[in-house]
Amino acid sequence: MKSHSRRDFMKVVTSYLLGVTGVLGIAGVARFLAFESAPRPQTAFDLGPASDFPLNSRTRLNSIPALLIRKESGYVALSLLCTHLGCTVEDAPEGFICPCHGSRYDAQGAVQRGPAADPLRHLGVEIMADGRLTLYTA
Amino acid sequence: MRSFQLALGAAVLLASLLVAATTQMIKPRPVVLIPTLSQQPEYCLTCHGDLPNISAAHPVKTFGCVVCHGGERLALDEDLAHSTMRGGANPSDFAVVEQSCGGSQCHSGSAADRRDHIQRAMTSVQSTYAGAIANILYTFGAQPDLTARYGVSAVVDEVVNTSTGVAALKPFDAASFANPFIQQFGRNCTSCHINAQPSDEDAYTRFTGCAACHSPLANEDSTARDTATHVLTTAIPYTQCNKCHNRGNYDLRTMTFVPRSDHPVDRLHAYYQPIAQFVKCEYTLDCIDCHTRTEAMGDGDIHSSKKEIQYIRCKTCHGTLTDLSTTMTLTDSNNVEFRLAQLNPVVELNIGDRVLATEKGEALWNTRVLPDGSYELVGKATGERFKIRPVKGSGCTQNPDEQASQYCHECHAVER
Repeated sequence: MKSHSRRDFMKVVTSYLLGVTGVLGIAGVARFLAFESAPRPQTAFDLGPASDFPLNSRTRLNSIPALLIRKESGYVALSLLCTHLGCTVEDAPEGFICPCHGSRYDAQGAVQRGPAADPLRHLGVEIMADGRLTLYTA
Repeated sequence: MRSFQLALGAAVLLASLLVAATTQMIKPRPVVLIPTLSQQPEYCLTCHGDLPNISAAHPVKTFGCVVCHGGERLALDEDLAHSTMRGGANPSDFAVVEQSCGGSQCHSGSAADRRDHIQRAMTSVQSTYAGAIANILYTFGAQPDLTARYGVSAVVDEVVNTSTGVAALKPFDAASFANPFIQQFGRNCTSCHINAQPSDEDAYTRFTGCAACHSPLANEDSTARDTATHVLTTAIPYTQCNKCHNRGNYDLRTMTFVPRSDHPVDRLHAYYQPIAQFVKCEYTLDCIDCHTRTEAMGDGDIHSSKKEIQYIRCKTCHGTLTDLSTTMTLTDSNNVEFRLAQLNPVVELNIGDRVLATEKGEALWNTRVLPDGSYELVGKATGERFKIRPVKGSGCTQNPDEQASQYCHECHAVER
């Protein structure tokens, strides 16, 4: 029977340790390479077929947040972020009210009461070739 | 020997890798918030997702945490994340308030748009402690009159608007005065203002800075230690004012503060010190129902005494024998009273509403002239409605020249 020296044993142990270390190291490198940074905030939103928004409709798009208005002349979109500090405005009888500091806007987004100084921002809306609407926030 | 060293090296290498991997594994998965205001991702909600919005005016979705609190927004290690926070748990501490709460769109705007909160609060007597210091220095002969010369820290007011306003205060250094009473005052009494940490006793529990008033502590039982809350409010209950006021008395012989020894269990006894005189509305209403934001937070000038900035009197609401109280009609929805009513919606204000007004022309927005001509006040902290009875037409026998509260107390003081 072949006898194993202490040196052989240490060689096996070393090989095993280095092997496990190598596997772990490769896993770490793989994880590093696979890292995906947080995506940039979305600035283009597919709203679906333009025909889904009937004439004279006002559709609140809470996830953006924006208001899409369909007029005779086309589509208009208003940002629903208050121009004071950026809270989402709520619907009010005469237009919009900011729940944070009370700014009021009329139905077209013009300031009726401060502290906001600027009107609600108009956003870009585009009818794509396939008839779907895309709204741009930037 | 060499093979043993190699094995040991490999073991150390593997152990290091395992430690690094474990550290990575136990890190929480970040909860990302991109506030509308900053548009910069922050991970604070990974650990603090259970905190409620601090107020309706500061929703976390809009503000996030970092814009007010500072801190390392992308750190997941507790110590690192908190290492650069402003003011510890209280970003409204006056040492850092300008970075935390300032800005022209927030709380250090112009006096014209009534957004100069920070400038006013930092020059107010609640912050400077100038009145108490001037009183002590005058009493012990260290200055010839009661005009303030010192504050707890240096403060300058570049634009003095009132006849009693002072342009600047030097920092008060009690040790520079020879009088032992003044030195004792400096040692024992100069933590009694809102930009000093209170003493570590239950009776003193409060935050510093804006939060001293606007972040009511959770426990209203004055005998127990209060706990911090993540709240900012303008509906400040009297219990919060009592964190500083009505706590006890000053002993001028030893120049120490002596906390009251009684443990009041009801509002009537909690409100005032045992020997004080007061009328029903003073213990039924909350302090802020009568005292205005200008009285509490200052008018932007440095004053020598709270008397120079305290102007609400009984007659402000009740009038006199010959005159009803002053009223005004709200005509401009951009005025500050609409903002205040929006922040604390205990009343719904509308253009054309008639409300009572102070002698300085401020609208007391929580009052209302009712259609029958009578007056009503709504509690800012409670929403409770109170009828205001005018002196005119009553059986009151007051001397028209005696309008200070002590004259009203002569007949209307409540007995305990």
